[in-house]
Amino acid sequence: VSESPIFLPVRRLAELVRARRVSPVALAEMFLDRLDRLGPAYNAVVTITRIRAMAAAARAEREIAAGRYRGPLHGIPYGAKDLLATAGGIPTTWGAAPFRERCFDFDATAIAKLEEAGAVLVAKLAMVELAGGMGYRQPNAAFTGPGINPWHPDAWSGGSSSGSGSAVSAGLVPFAIGSETWGSILSPAGYCGIAGLRPSYGRVSRHGAMALCWTLDKLGPLCLTADDCGLVLEAIAGPDPDDPSAVDRPWMYEVAESARSFRFGVIKGATSGCEDAVTENFERSLEVLRRIGTIEDVTLPDLPYELITRTILQVEAASAFEDLIESGGIAGLTAPEDRYTPYARDAILAKDYVKAQRLRGVMAREIDRVLSRVDALVGPGRVTVSPRLDEEFRSPIRAAAAPDPLGAIGNGAGLPAICVPNGIGDRGLPTSLQFMGRVYEENTVLGAARAYQARTEWHLQHPPVDVPA
Amino acid sequence: MDEPRAETDALFALVRARYGDRMTAEQLDELRKGVEVTAEAMRALRAVKLRNSDEPFPPFAPYRKDA
Repeated sequence: VSESPIFLPVRRLAELVRARRVSPVALAEMFLDRLDRLGPAYNAVVTITRIRAMAAAARAEREIAAGRYRGPLHGIPYGAKDLLATAGGIPTTWGAAPFRERCFDFDATAIAKLEEAGAVLVAKLAMVELAGGMGYRQPNAAFTGPGINPWHPDAWSGGSSSGSGSAVSAGLVPFAIGSETWGSILSPAGYCGIAGLRPSYGRVSRHGAMALCWTLDKLGPLCLTADDCGLVLEAIAGPDPDDPSAVDRPWMYEVAESARSFRFGVIKGATSGCEDAVTENFERSLEVLRRIGTIEDVTLPDLPYELITRTILQVEAASAFEDLIESGGIAGLTAPEDRYTPYARDAILAKDYVKAQRLRGVMAREIDRVLSRVDALVGPGRVTVSPRLDEEFRSPIRAAAAPDPLGAIGNGAGLPAICVPNGIGDRGLPTSLQFMGRVYEENTVLGAARAYQARTEWHLQHPPVDVPA
Repeated sequence: MDEPRAETDALFALVRARYGDRMTAEQLDELRKGVEVTAEAMRALRAVKLRNSDEPFPPFAPYRKDA
């Protein structure tokens, strides 16, 4: 085939695989080679799963040759954030030095579902230690080193799904699975110039995924396009008897293009605190969105959104890692602040935590009322381009940090959102646009993002990385 | 002593009693700042008025295996 598979969307790769113009074995070998050669440059990889990958690729090749095509992920390589359990002696490290040798004897449900879809696991990808739940303030917060952005060697890849973002952006895998408790899919997707979908809470089973916050954790895809995110979500979505939070709502990706018009909302102060280029690119994005719908200003009730979600996150994370914290095991973590910051969470009183949970209900009802009148709220994906590697960054997860009402509301209320590239900002780094929808309306945000990408070419721009002719 | 300061002192004393022996002086200083920020944040949470009917979310659900 004349076109290089590198930077081809999953949808196009699938066409080539199905038509047997590209061999799954050759694809796996190509991406394994890239992970091996280029992965270290981005600190993107924890474990290359070569033996498992080659077996799965050979199986896919045989099945497709025999006419047993499973669907658009059949024979497609992918990487998984290293907080998803994998059997077969493949370590699952949670990005944390104290767990770097630890193995599970089962596959997480998301991994099992991708296996069933015929996808080929080629790597466990790097992540911020314990998904950032201990309060890190800098990129260097994993035993694999800071995630490096393929767009600039001195820029962070974002986190906590660091390797999932950089590996897709650099063409080391066609897609990846990440997780988000607050910002961990949208941040690396936005900083690395790719698409990242945070599904509704409960859309994807968390069984076998590291628990950071039981009521906030979501698994979702990072891909080159919004369309690819839909293809991957369909494979991993669904109920699971092993995860009581997984909702029993069948979900199918609705890909059919329509001439529908969208109603977009922009919350007051959406660009507050944004870098100039982020604001300018957002304004340009709104011009594009006006061609596919209407835009109206939205005012949210005055509630301490960041505070509500942050309190819940800090308490749940402290409880989820109680053993590690109480034993002093956090002293083995990489970021110096992760070694003691969690102790301060004992200062959050039970009554205040319950107050946050009560306010969460108010927040969920208020945002549902707003979202019942629009298809999606839009805003900048991130307020800045990616920070420098040696820079302390602002995070809404910590107090006195960057405002992130969409992130606080979206994660606190369990709403779907997608982030797609919308321009280039300072230091030649990508900026991004976020669409957030009503709960269980993944098809709406995907449709809006797809319509945006049909009218722009930012998703066709890639970082200056090695691509074979 | 003003009330916020007293609250911070009390909460920090709790944290220090539990974990102080494993931290350096610099870490303890940082931790005190963290407790101060937390205490201030919790006061902001308490300042929001709720109705008696505003329940924690998600609401409690009883468990029955065969249900």
